[in-house]
Amino acid sequence: MSTLSATSTPIQLSSRADFEAYRDQAVQRWASLWNGNQTVVSVGIGSCSVAKGALDVFAACEAALQGQEGIVRQVSCDGACWMEPWIEVKRPGQPPVIYGNLAPSEISDVLAGRLEARAIGVRAEQPLGSIPPLARLPFFKHQQRIVLANVGVIDPDSIEDAIARGAYSAYLKVLFDLSGEEAIAELTASGLRGRGGAGFPAGIKWESGRKAKARPKFVVCNSHEGEPNVYKDRRIHEGDPHRILEGILIACIACGAERGYNYIGGEYPLAIKRFRKAVQDAERLGLIGKNVLGSGKNVAFRVRTGGGAYICGEGSALMYSIMGVRGQPRTKPPRSVEEGIWKRPTVANNTETLANVPDIILKGGEWYAGIGTEKSKGTKLMTVQGPLKTMGLVEVPMGITLRTLIEEVWGGMRDGYRFKGIQTGGVSAGPLKEEHLDLPIDFDSLTSEGGMLGSGGFAVFDESVCAVDYARYLTAFNRYESCSKCVPCRLGNPALVEILDRIRLGRGAEADLPLMDRTSKHIIELSLCGLGQVAPAPLLGMMKMYPEEFRAHIVDGVCPSGVCPISADDAVLAAGD
Amino acid sequence: MAQTAEAGIDLAVVRELMSHFKPQDHQEAQELILSALQEINEHFGYVSLEAAEIVADHLDTTVNRIYGLLTFYADFRTEPRGRHFMLLCHGMSCYVLGSQQLVQDLKDRYGVGDGDTTADGELTVQVVNGCLGVCDRAPIVKLDDSFHGDLTPDSLNDVIQRAIAARRAAEGSHVNPIRDLHSNPA
Ligand SMILES: Cc1cc2nc3c(=O)[nH]c(=O)nc-3n(C[C@H](O)[C@H](O)[C@H](O)COP(=O)(O)O)c2cc1C
Ligand code: SF4
Repeated sequence: MSTLSATSTPIQLSSRADFEAYRDQAVQRWASLWNGNQTVVSVGIGSCSVAKGALDVFAACEAALQGQEGIVRQVSCDGACWMEPWIEVKRPGQPPVIYGNLAPSEISDVLAGRLEARAIGVRAEQPLGSIPPLARLPFFKHQQRIVLANVGVIDPDSIEDAIARGAYSAYLKVLFDLSGEEAIAELTASGLRGRGGAGFPAGIKWESGRKAKARPKFVVCNSHEGEPNVYKDRRIHEGDPHRILEGILIACIACGAERGYNYIGGEYPLAIKRFRKAVQDAERLGLIGKNVLGSGKNVAFRVRTGGGAYICGEGSALMYSIMGVRGQPRTKPPRSVEEGIWKRPTVANNTETLANVPDIILKGGEWYAGIGTEKSKGTKLMTVQGPLKTMGLVEVPMGITLRTLIEEVWGGMRDGYRFKGIQTGGVSAGPLKEEHLDLPIDFDSLTSEGGMLGSGGFAVFDESVCAVDYARYLTAFNRYESCSKCVPCRLGNPALVEILDRIRLGRGAEADLPLMDRTSKHIIELSLCGLGQVAPAPLLGMMKMYPEEFRAHIVDGVCPSGVCPISADDAVLAAGD
Repeated sequence: MAQTAEAGIDLAVVRELMSHFKPQDHQEAQELILSALQEINEHFGYVSLEAAEIVADHLDTTVNRIYGLLTFYADFRTEPRGRHFMLLCHGMSCYVLGSQQLVQDLKDRYGVGDGDTTADGELTVQVVNGCLGVCDRAPIVKLDDSFHGDLTPDSLNDVIQRAIAARRAAEGSHVNPIRDLHSNPA
């Protein structure tokens, strides 16, 4: 038997008792899955592993188990990109073992126990023979999984799996046991700050939403994730869509909103597919709709998808996009909690922010506030890019250092690459160098050096990368993604790119450095929205950290990394927009 | 896979796709415009003027508004795709590991930049400014339905030529390979 996607058609639940009975059953089924006399093979299927052949691995597992006592199921990628494609094999009487970097042709040997060299770890406290506990590997050792607790464990297409593992229990609490004020008080006590970049306290935002008078009200989950440096939100969608949906539904009930939205970046088909399935199943089960579980509360839901414009991650632009117009930010006030979608009060939060909510409601704000640092509570999803050995998405407590992340969790630099710096804050801040790696990562500590936590996407670069060229890449991104509504951003960013190209071509003058400073200041001070207001930050950061490289291009006419087309002809100038 | 230029856009199919969009009111109709366009773009690889008019009629808006959206959102095309369609990831992992050289090489070799189609209609390239999320295999492209990673300009060229050759073998045609500006300066 195999289940690539769960097929169960749940029945409509119309009371709290109905839900609890359904949950008990799901818990039992989940337990019996793992205690039976069958081999359970779970295959990590996410957009990242599919790119590496995970569907073929799935098919090979089915073929290999044909005629045997066994079941093949899908789970999602669990963040460890470096071990994909991977499978987890639970043999009767043994803890589950993870095997990684598999080719379909190796599956029958792996399942027969003839290829233990591919074993990566065992899900147990103690080693199994020579296989170490997964939780002791450097990649997993530092992690504390709240948002990712079920990712890579449940079948993301199965609402039953999710409920067996606790989904919608916090929702139940908010529907029946807590008032809106009480739920929001837990959130405030947790100290949870927005994970979309700005770090605004979620409790305060919800409180304004609750107090807003106009009707109807909306909650929108910002799952746009259009930055070039981060891939966390789509992984939560692919791995545990019900956690996001539950977070949004809780926000709707607590703030008294009639409708929840999730706005997902259009580039992530699997995330969209799995999330839509989650909404359908929750609707069918009666968790969305009128008089939910007999609580007397109503909530509606809509999924909307983006069209590949980075600016649509900005709150007001996102709402315009939902309303079917160009996503161009507007001046504030009024803030979105006063006037958002269809000019109605709208509470907007990042996906990861909302995905933290169910556990905060269940375990209490105080529990959450015990994790992390004084001003940045809880865990944070972090992703890395660049030439590192064990890349992927991790969930770690706030306050971990960059060094621990880079050297342990992500395995250090790949052979043949030397660390030069780490770009932080995506396209909205500057890089940090070796001497900054012992800074704790939280919302505030990196800013003193010109870095930023942002959405938690880091890009490590090595010595083959030229600071001037990288600055151009980052500035060109912002130039391209500018919505063109206001002049400083629309004209200022192309001006910066033009100057940078001059320098890359060996035609820069010393006066270009102060010129870039002045131009940047204009863009930062005069732009309308958050894109323009930080667009020059990466360039200013590169100039601050690597001044000698800028001077080498301008004064000596050389690109120390050998990247820039110095002395090339103008045709090259338009490279790579 | 998206249909190619020769196929054009079958407006009956567009009407069929639109019939699944059933807004309850004018507000919801407006919320559905982007989704409707996405569906057409996905199905045909682009949105033609005629298709845009059908969307405008169905959702009670103007074709001008539709064009405003098609030209603002990067995922949409208003021209047909080539026979092969490639997303070239230009996220930070890909940049750090050399996607800029791939972009440059495509320009030198085939004369195509972001959004362009080769003169012989074989290949359309779209540079993805965000991140395709397969960062440990950077630099990476998605050509038609499959991903190819750890690329250099030469290996990317191999990937493209192999895809074209495989399609032609399947079609049984014997045309010359895609014109390579490097080896065929003429
Ligand atoms: C140009 C720009 C792009 C943004 N992109 C995103 C995004 O992709 N996802 C996100 O959650 N927030 C993004 N934000 C931040 C949002 O405006 C907003 O602060 C956030 O969604 C609020 O949620 P939070 O408080 O939970 O972080 C972006 C902001 C700007 C200025
Ligand atoms: S700062 Fe840039 S992105 Fe923001 S409104 Fe102005 S032009 Fe648009």
